[in-house]
Order: sequence, then structure tokens, then C-alpha cells
Amino acid sequence: MSAVGLKFAPLKSQHVLPGFRLSLGFTIFYLTSLVLIPLLALMLRPFELGLDGVWEAISTPRVLASLRLSFGMALAAAIIDSVFGLIIAWVLVRYRFPGRAILDALIDLPFALPTAVAGIALSTLYAPSGWLGGILAEYGIKVAYTPWGVLIAMVFISLPFTVRTVQPVLAELGKDVEEAAATLGATRVQTISRVMLPMLYPAILTGCAMAFARAVGEYGSIIFLAGNLPGISEIAPLLIVIKLEEFNYAGAAAIGVVMLATSFVMLLALNAIQSWAARRR
Amino acid sequence: MSLVVDSVSKKFARFPALNGASFSAPQGAFVSLLGPSGSGKTTLLRILGGLEVADSGTVRFADLNWLGMPARTRNAGFVFQQYALFKHMTVADNIAFGLKVRPRDKRPAKDEINKRVTDLLQLVQLPGLEGRYPSQLSGGQRQRVALARALAIEPRMLLLDEPFGALDAKVRKELRVDLRRIHDHTGVTTVFVTHDQEEAFAVADLVAVMKDGRIEQYGAPADVRRNPKTAFVSEFLGA
Amino acid sequence: MSKRVTKPTEDPLWLKLTLGAVALAFVAVVLVLPLVLVFKEALAGGVDAFFNAMTEPDTLASVKLSLLAAAIAVPLNTVFGIAAAWAIAKFDFRGKTFLVTLIDLPFSVSPVVAGLVYVLIFGNHGWFGSTLADHDIRILFALPGIVLATIFVTFPFVARELIPLMVDQGRDEEEAAATLGASGFRTFLMVTLPNIKWGLLYGILLCNARALGEFGAVSVLSGKIRGETNTMPLHIQLLYDNYDYVGAFAVAALLAMLGLLTLAIKSFLEWRYADELAASHRH
Repeated sequence: MSAVGLKFAPLKSQHVLPGFRLSLGFTIFYLTSLVLIPLLALMLRPFELGLDGVWEAISTPRVLASLRLSFGMALAAAIIDSVFGLIIAWVLVRYRFPGRAILDALIDLPFALPTAVAGIALSTLYAPSGWLGGILAEYGIKVAYTPWGVLIAMVFISLPFTVRTVQPVLAELGKDVEEAAATLGATRVQTISRVMLPMLYPAILTGCAMAFARAVGEYGSIIFLAGNLPGISEIAPLLIVIKLEEFNYAGAAAIGVVMLATSFVMLLALNAIQSWAARRR
Repeated sequence: MSLVVDSVSKKFARFPALNGASFSAPQGAFVSLLGPSGSGKTTLLRILGGLEVADSGTVRFADLNWLGMPARTRNAGFVFQQYALFKHMTVADNIAFGLKVRPRDKRPAKDEINKRVTDLLQLVQLPGLEGRYPSQLSGGQRQRVALARALAIEPRMLLLDEPFGALDAKVRKELRVDLRRIHDHTGVTTVFVTHDQEEAFAVADLVAVMKDGRIEQYGAPADVRRNPKTAFVSEFLGA
Repeated sequence: MSKRVTKPTEDPLWLKLTLGAVALAFVAVVLVLPLVLVFKEALAGGVDAFFNAMTEPDTLASVKLSLLAAAIAVPLNTVFGIAAAWAIAKFDFRGKTFLVTLIDLPFSVSPVVAGLVYVLIFGNHGWFGSTLADHDIRILFALPGIVLATIFVTFPFVARELIPLMVDQGRDEEEAAATLGASGFRTFLMVTLPNIKWGLLYGILLCNARALGEFGAVSVLSGKIRGETNTMPLHIQLLYDNYDYVGAFAVAALLAMLGLLTLAIKSFLEWRYADELAASHRH
């Protein structure tokens, strides 16, 4: 690894601190062997099928339906979480009430609760005999074993991303812009819609993109709740698992590449949002 | 038609910020509130602007029960120390904001707004910067834009909270001169908070020296300087 | 003052109540209700049934396996996190921003894809599949596969916590120590570590919680052999699919308690040592 270490030599050689080559060398070695090479293996794999083969593997109705479901529901979940995440962040930052610290801590529950635990809990909760499933059933709404189950699980696991990206930005947003708007004659609604929200857009978008990325890839909590009916409530990650169990590696890799490409696009989008936000500062 | 502030008090969680402050000034006057930090001058200004609510006391201005009105209907332009410009809007949109948020029947036409923006930029000596964003301006330029924004609503009263506090000495002096010139041009009643006595005496018609939430002495700059009424005032001015 | 006026930055009471009610209701229904249900179901058959389920041999085996996997993965990622943060925070080099982005990459990759990539390398039809088979080395459907999956999904936790913290702290103190003749390791131990200890603990805590709870990646790689390669989350699935709800929720309750404990310590650290954690947590 020393060759790589050399390529990354410090820009200035004034450092008295030791351990540059060791720490960076280990970092790059660890990152490359455990993350980058495996991801490269995934990206190369589908090409054994050739481009036509990849297209064929992806363009079956079942795969297309699963991709549509995963992406569509993830987008819906990200939007729902963005709206409620903004409201929750607003309440947490702006209002003082007893139990605020507990509410704040609870937001991270989906980070702390393993997805399998969330999965069986949501599944029991929304089953026709469950606490919420029973209520919804009276109104003729079925959640378990339908695409709605996918949506509910995604909303659950992605919520912290939207709250936690908006919350610190809102906290740092000075009150003086709000006050300035008021002294200029703006109503509360105008102040919020024309001044506060536009200033929060980058954070809201970032949170939304992160929530989307998480929701698209989510597996554990969804499979318990969704019922996994092919073409109806079967998500793309589950189809990867199924293809692997059938030893259809290339087929699994083809779907995996689509998912991975999405991850890269989301990373690029996040970086673009960051630099857009930085330019406005 | 004058401004009458009568025993205004305000207590924050622990300490009293204002302890019965009173003064009056004729319409169109330029008043400086001068004092060390913690003397209550900013609190008094924010109460005049409707940004804080007084515990007791009254303010009458232009025959209005001033403290009974919310900030948004007072039509008092406020200039903040840290500019408080809307970063996501251009200079023109910043200045036009107060006009664009008016209800439709009171909102000037688009051409009218554009003309007002151009004129105001001329007045604050920043012609042609309509399309810039605040991040592309220097501190002094930002404060000029903030001033133009506050003037755009044709305010009944102009309130400035340490507006030059974040700027360097040279820019401060330039802006101070311009502020006085603009005041003479518009004739709007102006209250100006500063801890810098040179600045206070240079721009104002009337100076209020504040201490512990009260006004220690109030009068024309020359009088205050010649006859300090209390030990505090003479010490503060001597420093 | 005849009329009651409020500060312009203060929301009217009706808005406060509405937003507060919406936020509370959403959190209660979406987040809290599932949590409450876990404990209710775990104790549905009484406390005895709960403890019987917990002491069932396969369940105990799954607990052991999960702890073992975490005990390997978490220290490795901790060492990586410290090394990466040291290199990134204390030195300037080209490609730094890119490196930070790459370290975050595993967060945006689906856990199932994380499992998939290792299958493609070590599986029977994978790059090294036949070589491994020749030498009778098992990675897939065995402990190494589970550990690899765990490492991948928990990869950035410690690094992402330490990097901003150590960047914030700069390099003055370390440089002072070095000029005073302290060795590199001593400098790290005596100067750097005390400054980052709470941030480090925070990162390890999150890393550990995720490691014990990982499902998707591990489920692809473990083979799910009951009593052998089933981690706690996989065991939950097995019990649940076999209609052993008390058993499933008993294991779930154990993991949920662990999650709650993590949250409690995390909140405590954020409250008590806010200034010693990365800036993003100071709210």
C-alpha cells in the first residue's frame, strides 16, 4: 500500500505529526478491499450477460414491477417524511414543552431499532387483527400484504433522515430574518412561505434525498409487512434475494447494479444540493 | 404627531432590561440611544419595532397607541446589526419584499416597484446592483441594502440597532454620513442604537444616555456634552 | 396596553397546538406504537413464556453469534475510523473530499446489495468461489460472511463521527506534544484520545447497535442455518415465519431494549458532552 500512500503525499511537508502514511495507507487498504473492490465486482458482473443480457434480465415484467414499486413508494415515503419531518423539526426547535427531550430522542428510534424488529412489529400492528389494521379495516383499507405496507415501512425507517437534516439548519436560522420580514409588513404565513421555507429548501431536499436512498434499499422491515406478492408488493431488494436463492447470480447482479446506480445518482444529487446551498451562503 | 415613550418596562426571565424608560421627540427627529451593553437600549428599540412586548408603559406615535399594534402594521423600518438580508433573494427582491407582501389593493404596480428599487439603490449609493445576491456584497454594501429595504416601505419610523457594529472604522464613518444625509432627505423619525458615543453625537439631533434600563440624561448633543447631569454620564462620556 | 400583541417570531397559539399535535400524533403512531407493541407481544404469554423463549438453545446460539460478529466487526471499524479521521483531520492531501464521500458510500447502498457483492466474490460462481472451495475455506453461510456483511453496513459509523470532530479540533495540541518530544503513539494516547473520547464512544455505540441489528446483508450471506448461522434478527424472522410469535417478540424485545439503551446513552452524551461531540449534534 505504500505506493498508494506516496501518491497521497501531504501537500505541505511542514508536518511534525507522525503516522500519515500508516493511517492513510490503512484507510485506503480497508476501504478498497472491503467496499470498493466488492462494489466493482458487482458492477462488472452483469456484463457477463452483455448489455442485451442485462436488459433482458431487468425488463421482465416482474423485475420492472418491483423496481417501479421500490422507486415509486420510496419517493412517496421521502415526500411524506419531508413534510412531517419539517413539522417535527419546527416543533422541536421552536417550542418549549415538557417531554421535548424525550420526543427528540424518540426520533432516532428507527436508527436504533433493528429492521427485523420493526418489521414484525409493523406487520402485527397493521395486520387485519392488529391495533391499527383493525381500525383501518373498518374503513375498507388494507395495509398488510399490499403496496401500502411497503409505504408504511419506508415512512417508518426514513423519518429520522428528514428531521435530523432540517433540525440543525432551522436552529441556526437567525430570528432576525423573521423579524425583518415582520417589520416589512409580511404576515406570518408570508414570512414562513417566502422567507423561512426557501432558506430551508437545501436542507429539506437533502433530507428528502437521504430518506429516498434509505427507503429504496430497505429490506428488513418491508418484507414482513408487504406480503411480497410478485408484481404487486414485491420490492427490488427482495427480488435480488430470490434470484440469489435460485443461483441466478447474473440476474441478481443486474438488479443490484440498478440499485447501486441509484445510490451513486443520489450521492451526486446530494453533493449538488450541498454546493448549491453553499453558494447561497 | 410626536413620539412619546412613557415609563416603558420590560423584564426578561431574571433581570429587568427596562426600568421605566421615558422620552419624547418631535416628528422627524433623529434620536440616538447611547449606553453600555446591558443598559436596555436595544430592548427599548426592539419594543418600538414590535419585536419585543413591553410589560408596562405606553408609547404614542402619530396619534397611535403604538404598543397595541403588531410589528407588521406599525410600518417601522428596522435595520439589524447583522443585516438580516434574505440570502436567497437578489438585492432587488430584498428591497422590494416589503412592497410585494402587501395585500393586492395596496401593492404598487410592478413598474412602480422596479422604479422604487432603482431610486433607493441610487439613494444608498449602490446603483446597478439589483441582480446581485447578498453573499456577493461587502459588509458595508449589505447594510446599505438593508437600509434601502427598510426605507422601501416608506416607514413611519426608522429603527437602527447598532447598524454599523460589524463594520470597520472607515466604512462606519462613510455610512454614518450617508445615514444623516438620507434622514435629511426623507425626514423620517429615526431612532438609532449605538454604544459608540462619537457616532451618537455625530448623527443625532437628540441623545438619550441609558443605564440600567433607565434614561439617565436626554437632550441635544451639545447640552448633554456640556452639562452631564450625573456622575455616570460624565464618566461614560469622558471615557 | 389595551390589545394583546405578541412577538412576530412567536407562532399564534392555534398554530402551536396544531403543529404540536400533528408532530406528537405522527411520532406516536409511526414510531412509538410499534415499539410498545414489541414489548406487549413479548409478554403476551406471561413472563415465564418470555424467559422460556429467551433461554431456548437456538435463541441463545443466535445471541452468541450476533455478539461474536459485533465483537469482531465493531473493533475493526473503530480502528479504521480512528485511522481515517487521523489522516483526514491532521493532514492535507489531494482527494480528501473524495475519500470522505467514499467512506460514506456504504450508507447509501442497500443492505441487500451489500450482501450481494460478497456473494459475487466468494460464492460458488464468484471470483474466488472455486479457489475457496478447493481449500475448503467457508466464507459464505458461515461466520466470516456474517462478519463481512456486518462490517460493510456499519463501515462509516465511527469514521463519520470522528472526522468532523477532529477537523474541528485542529492539530495544534498534537503538534505541541510532538515538538515536546512525545512519540506518535503517546501523542495519540495522551493528547488526541482524551479530546475525542465521547465522540468515539458515541460512534462505537451507533456502530454496535447497527451491527447487532443488521438484517438484509446478513440474511443474504448467512444461509440461515438454525442454531448455527442465525443471528438474532434472522432468528426473529425464523420464529415469526414459524408462528412462534412469543419467541420472535421475545428476541425482538431484547434487541429493542438494546436500541433504547443506545438511544438513552446517546441522548445523555448529546446533552452532557455537547461541546465534545461533532458540531452536527449540537442542537
